[in-house]
Amino acid sequence: MNCLICGSPFQSAPTWKSLILFEIQPNACTRCLKKFQKTDHAIDFSDFQGTMYEGMVDQVTGLYTYNEAMKNYLHQYKFMQDVALSQVFAEELRHVFDQTEGIIVPIPMHPEKLKLRTFAQVDELLKSAGVPFQHLLTKIATSEQGKKSKKERLEAPTLFEVMGKVEAKTYILFDDIYTTGATIHQAAKALKELGATKVEAITLIKG
Amino acid sequence: MPDQQVTQFLTGRIWLREHAPFPREVIDAHIESGHIHLKPGIDSHQSTFLFWQLKKYVCNRCHNSNQTLFHTFDCARCNKKCVYCRHCIRMNRVSSCSELILWNKEPAHGVKLHEFNWSGTLTPLQQKASEELLTSVERNESHLLHAVCGAGKTELLFPAIFASLLEGKRVCVAAPRTDVILELFPRFQKVFPKTVIHALYGGAPDQEGFAQLILSTTHQLYRFEEAFDVIFVDEADAFPYYADETLQRAVVKAAKQGAAIHYVTATPTDSLKTTNKSFLSRRYHGHDLPVPMFESLWGYNRRLNKGKVPQKLQDWIEEKQKNNIPFLVFLPTIDMLENFPGDLPRVHAEHPERKEIVMQLREKKIPGLLTTTILERGITIENVHVAVVGAEQKIFTASALIQISGRVGRSFNYPSGDIVFFHHGITHEMDEAKSSIERWNKL
Repeated sequence: MNCLICGSPFQSAPTWKSLILFEIQPNACTRCLKKFQKTDHAIDFSDFQGTMYEGMVDQVTGLYTYNEAMKNYLHQYKFMQDVALSQVFAEELRHVFDQTEGIIVPIPMHPEKLKLRTFAQVDELLKSAGVPFQHLLTKIATSEQGKKSKKERLEAPTLFEVMGKVEAKTYILFDDIYTTGATIHQAAKALKELGATKVEAITLIKG
Repeated sequence: MPDQQVTQFLTGRIWLREHAPFPREVIDAHIESGHIHLKPGIDSHQSTFLFWQLKKYVCNRCHNSNQTLFHTFDCARCNKKCVYCRHCIRMNRVSSCSELILWNKEPAHGVKLHEFNWSGTLTPLQQKASEELLTSVERNESHLLHAVCGAGKTELLFPAIFASLLEGKRVCVAAPRTDVILELFPRFQKVFPKTVIHALYGGAPDQEGFAQLILSTTHQLYRFEEAFDVIFVDEADAFPYYADETLQRAVVKAAKQGAAIHYVTATPTDSLKTTNKSFLSRRYHGHDLPVPMFESLWGYNRRLNKGKVPQKLQDWIEEKQKNNIPFLVFLPTIDMLENFPGDLPRVHAEHPERKEIVMQLREKKIPGLLTTTILERGITIENVHVAVVGAEQKIFTASALIQISGRVGRSFNYPSGDIVFFHHGITHEMDEAKSSIERWNKL
């Protein structure tokens, strides 16, 4: 097996657990995996208090910090379009989503952008992890989030439209990165306004 | 009428359609008029074995056929299962729904005017090898130039390159490493001041016009097809060229059919087969190559793991520091390099400031440097002494050890110096490196 990130050959040590239980085999070597730094902390989003988004999101968890290794990873995955890299965090994501209860909703890409990138990076992460999800949102605004300030992002008109039926249940939004929180809050608002009882969010990276 | 810039750019190239440096309408028009020919990004061959349907993919750009380096995914562009090549992904992704463009009509030509501006002198040995190479190039017969480290190989190529340029041939000098291309570029520009020369490497700037002479990393040759009349592969023994079959195929692919490929190397491998051969066994300054010394360093791994430098190695380092001699310590793994006790500066392949740190050693701002095999070739530091730790490890092949030994005693003023192999047992590779060097010295 060759590491998906650095390409060097490695062997994952066989364990009893992996033999008996279903466990996703690691696709990257320990040296590469070690460079990613876990956060484990719930993301603080109290900066949304007093805005119209207050109370829309109930909990946000970011799994990894945005360090040098993660930056390189994201670059190769998203911009160089190396879809295979979606497998790197498969085991971790499966583990995290195993402990949650709710309907998992990935943050979508704008259809035009999706065509250019050829794959939805957020969906692919879930697919590799074998986590079932449901497309409930469509993105209707094309403009790039990364180029705007937080204030601009919040004042922007609705980013998402809900397709399908929202029930009085818990929804878990999933996105690759949490930067200002505007995307997650916009999406949560759209769901809550249509009757979701609880909206949590998990992001791979806390920016 | 074809666009001149498009002709010049695409002659000899194989390029991703969606990343061509021209507006889309321009490319489309050339496809329509038949000037540009299209090829699918990935070819698949179906075969059956008993009951199994086997699908084998080949990347049409880098010719990679290692199936583990192909990945299939649901493509949102073509709405089908798409396969892409991970092997050459750093040059923008090639997938089954992307297309490659090639020039299909009258190719671009270079100017006839070339000037040879070089006034150096060659030693009689260099002169002889240079003439032999020239003869081979004129006859279009492949040639292996085997020259020991520090023999002054580049100069030997000049006459053969000049002769080819005058005949209107397109010439490529390829080397596996970017560092080498960056070093060669200004030298070639000086020697051939009237010739359009492009230097191609990862991250190279766009260069205009039609280059009759191209200096390129072997990687960048993935983007050429039937382009060159003459190719020289410099440092043909360097990593990753000898280890990566697709790079070797890339060189063959970049050559026009029947064009001879010539190799320059300090440690030829048996797989390099050429019609003619010359051997340059002396350094340009005429002194012997420094012969490596073997020094046992039993259980160095355990000692290092405890956070201590083994005594013999410590003594060696201290002696060099005391005498103000710059030194390099080669280590087998990045892990060992990162965990090496003490605060000596260290570099490896992923280090962003590699060039700057090597520069500091040259300027004597730092006493010495820990490194992986990344610095095994292409660098010249006056009066540098060298130690290899863990010389018995697999990564130190005979050719790597010969290259490393070749860092020592390269300058006219300091033609000798220490080269020590610290080891936990002597391997064949170490013996072979030492005996080769001794044999060359006797010639």
